[in-house]
Amino acid sequence: MKRWWIWIVAGLLPLQALALSGEEAMKKSQAAFLYPGKDFKARVVMKLINKDGQERLRELTMLRKNAGEPGGDQKYFMYFFQPADVKDMTFMIHKYPARDDDRWLFVPAINMVKRIAAQDKRSSFVGSDFTYEDVSGRDIEDDNHIIEREEKVGNRDCYVVKSTPKGTDADFGHKVTWVDKANFLPLKEEQYDKRGNRYKLFTADEVTDIKAFPTAIKRTMKNLQTGHRTEVAYIKTDYDLGIEDSLFSERYLRQPPRKWID
Amino acid sequence: MIRFSLVDFSIRRPQLVVAATVVLTILFLTQLPRITTDTNPKHMLPETSDVRVWNNEVDRIFALYEDTIVVGVQSDGGVLNRETLGRIARITEEILKLQGVASRDVNGFTTITNVTAEAGTLKVGPLMPAAPPSEAEVESLRQALFGNPLFINRIISPDGKTTAIYVPLEKGANGAEIAKKIHDIVAKEKGPERYYIAGDPVARDTFGAEMFKLMGIFSPIAGMIMFITIQLMFRNLSLSFTMMAVAMAAIIWSMGLLIGVGLPVHIMSSMAPVFLMAIATDSIHIFNEFYFRYREKRDKLAAIRETMQAVSRPVRYTALATAAGFAVLLFMNIIPVKVFGGLIAFGTVVLRLFSFSLIPAILTFVKEEKIAKGAESVSAELDRTARLLRRIAEVGGTRPLATALVGVVLLVVAIVGTSKIHVNNNLVAWFKEASEIRVADAAMNQALGGTSLGYLVVLANQPEFMKRPEAVRWLEGLQRHLEGMPVVGKTFSVADYVKRINRVLHDDDKKFEAVPDTKEAIGQYLFLFSMSAKPSDLDNVVDTTFQKANVWVQLKTWDAEAMRQVIHAAGAYQKAHALPVSVKPAGIAYFNLVWNDEVLGDMVRGFVMALVVVFVILALAFRSAKWALVGYMPLLFTILLIYGVVGFAGKDFDMPLSVLSTLSLGMAVDFAIHFISRFRQRLAETGSRDVQEALLWTAARPGKGIFRNAVLFAAAFSVMLFAPLTPYIAVGAFIVSMMLLSALLTILYLSALIMLGRKWLLDEPMPAAGAAPAQTKGG
Repeated sequence: MKRWWIWIVAGLLPLQALALSGEEAMKKSQAAFLYPGKDFKARVVMKLINKDGQERLRELTMLRKNAGEPGGDQKYFMYFFQPADVKDMTFMIHKYPARDDDRWLFVPAINMVKRIAAQDKRSSFVGSDFTYEDVSGRDIEDDNHIIEREEKVGNRDCYVVKSTPKGTDADFGHKVTWVDKANFLPLKEEQYDKRGNRYKLFTADEVTDIKAFPTAIKRTMKNLQTGHRTEVAYIKTDYDLGIEDSLFSERYLRQPPRKWID
Repeated sequence: MIRFSLVDFSIRRPQLVVAATVVLTILFLTQLPRITTDTNPKHMLPETSDVRVWNNEVDRIFALYEDTIVVGVQSDGGVLNRETLGRIARITEEILKLQGVASRDVNGFTTITNVTAEAGTLKVGPLMPAAPPSEAEVESLRQALFGNPLFINRIISPDGKTTAIYVPLEKGANGAEIAKKIHDIVAKEKGPERYYIAGDPVARDTFGAEMFKLMGIFSPIAGMIMFITIQLMFRNLSLSFTMMAVAMAAIIWSMGLLIGVGLPVHIMSSMAPVFLMAIATDSIHIFNEFYFRYREKRDKLAAIRETMQAVSRPVRYTALATAAGFAVLLFMNIIPVKVFGGLIAFGTVVLRLFSFSLIPAILTFVKEEKIAKGAESVSAELDRTARLLRRIAEVGGTRPLATALVGVVLLVVAIVGTSKIHVNNNLVAWFKEASEIRVADAAMNQALGGTSLGYLVVLANQPEFMKRPEAVRWLEGLQRHLEGMPVVGKTFSVADYVKRINRVLHDDDKKFEAVPDTKEAIGQYLFLFSMSAKPSDLDNVVDTTFQKANVWVQLKTWDAEAMRQVIHAAGAYQKAHALPVSVKPAGIAYFNLVWNDEVLGDMVRGFVMALVVVFVILALAFRSAKWALVGYMPLLFTILLIYGVVGFAGKDFDMPLSVLSTLSLGMAVDFAIHFISRFRQRLAETGSRDVQEALLWTAARPGKGIFRNAVLFAAAFSVMLFAPLTPYIAVGAFIVSMMLLSALLTILYLSALIMLGRKWLLDEPMPAAGAAPAQTKGG
């Protein structure tokens, strides 16, 4: 029994594994928030509300299909109902970690599909307070993640993770995410600008289980510096519908199949 | 007669009066450190004024910033080279880090949204995300800049030598501090570029600094000059100190009150110390008379009493006239003018209170031998100054008709000049030509689209209207119409985005630089644009419901008239091209126009009010409308002459000058009051009917007081001729010339007019003894 200490170490290992790293927490969070199911469909109602309370409406059907594991490639397809004059407009994103997305837009008024450069993931998503990154995720490897503390949001226990960009090209300073310890959904996120001022606040306002996937069906992003906010509600949310890969093509941008966009 | 008992009390208990004044002055003095300044031109009009309410609403609807600092970068070799672009990128990066800067909406090469098509791909994003690493990229930047009409004259000058970074500030940010930090940032860059830092916050800050300079440096210098002048006149240090002490105390009381009630110091009230110092010189009449009386009686206390009796009536009425002249300003619409009026009215009342308390009290402390010495020098001086004044009165008195005729001719010329007066307020012109602000403004105006910004808000009566092709085309047409005007440098509207996107979607084909034919296309273009652009890009030009559109109009001049021309042109365009919309102007340029018109309205109203009030006071002072009319003449003459000069010189008639026109009535009338009161007293005292002799005596004796008063007044204000802001200089020149001219004209023309109208004027019985007690005493 000369190697008795190995057993002790082995006995301690599970405990070490339990002590989650910041990066792992954010990975799990990304998987739970942006990658649940093989595919996903929802009718999304976005209210863009300025500081005087004036509202603008965006209504669209959003379809998503994962190519593989969480953290991998994804395809998004969006069909707009509102505002009225953009009805039939469609928008498609092929998302690749670690390189620029491909984006296409169909402009029905001139019957034209146009590729759109995706040089800036931090630009606004359809004029809302969400950026493309907020909607489809930021590469975990781009930031350093540290669990700063644990804290409750409402009655949910959370990890509080501070993420700081590794490079200098990010347009924000850092962000702090409250990740639900049980289901890893981000319940709250604060984004800070480079001057260290808090400028955006994300909150998951209502979480419900759909096909056993905990889903934030109501969420808000508020720009604290302008007072502008965007409230998002997911209605008719569903997972694992068997959306075929061929849907995510230029051809269907012009004529999306009825069954998928209602 | 409260004032007489006040004088008696002050002579009996001088220590108490002085001590009480000192204590009160210290009390007011404690308020001074709390001083705040307000240099925001918007605060000229009340917050509830239509133009400010509307402008705030426009700012809100179109997410506009109240304050923007413009950083101009200019290089004779052009800014489109790797070195300069590298500097611009670095500078912008540093600016974005500054607290208080609305970073998300900073617009410069590295941040402004550009819509382009490259290899069939639509690109909406920052024009130059980073400094270009190669010449090829510099070249493509050049093409992007000059290929996009949205950029020319906005962030690049047509000759490529000037660019600008627009730095909007968050509400409540300290513009002065940020401007200073930007100064530091550009100072770190070594290169051939010139940097201009301009914009409202910078102008305001400079303005504030100059105001402090006026109050902190020029007012004391004015005080020193007055002190020296008084000393030369009376050769008695303690008397000179008394006058200065009285002036200082009145200034401290007034400024202490202003600051104490929490009001900020504004351009007008910053001149209050100089005004009060000058108004304080009215007590020169007390000293003047005191010296004469003392020389006659050699009894100090008796001389004080008699002096106070002799001058009390004119001094009271001149104070009343001055206070009333300023109090008229309380009825004006422009806030700083109102505050200024109240401030000086208060100060004048305080000064008069001192005249009947502090001055007699201090006079009791003055050593008799010193007075005797001073009085002797008075008599010595009498020979020169008084003789000159006598001679002036002689000219008027012996050749009244000729004098009057010359006056009429001058008057006609002056009226012609007055009709040429051009009311205009140009805030940038308030700075001297060589000042950093004027230089920056001139450079930016020359290179780019213009620094003065106005908006034309186009309002439809239903939502989504601004997506209609006819509406967007109408906007486009309006822009072209406005751009034909010489004062308009650049215009900018939602039409520019629509056209740009149309072109870019069609492979950058010039043919498509036009408004598309369907509402759907426009809606979809703008939606597409909003998907990637900064939210503010679209918000700045259309409201969220697309019912209102905002046309930006950059003007090449800050003259208020420029915006009036724009509004007229918009009206004409609307008549020629009917569309169910209304156009409402807004923005700082529009504010300046409204303010300018308020100044004009205020001037006319204030002037008429002052004319009436001063006439009533004259009539009360003389208990005769006839005498009031005569007393009026030199005053009107003076003002018309000065207006005539202003008109012929082509100087803009702006707010400070218009305020002065009102005030000058109240200040210049003093001389007439002194002259006529003392003339009539003289006639009554001597019982003589020799009008000419009485006139000559008046010209020589109280006339000397008038002369000294005018010289002192002018001396104090002459300092302002060297002040750093042009309104101060204008005020200085106006007052100096007005005081000297009105003293001269009072003595000359009152003599002439009284001689001419002596039958008409003197037929009435002299005022009863009870009404003017002074006349019963010997003189």
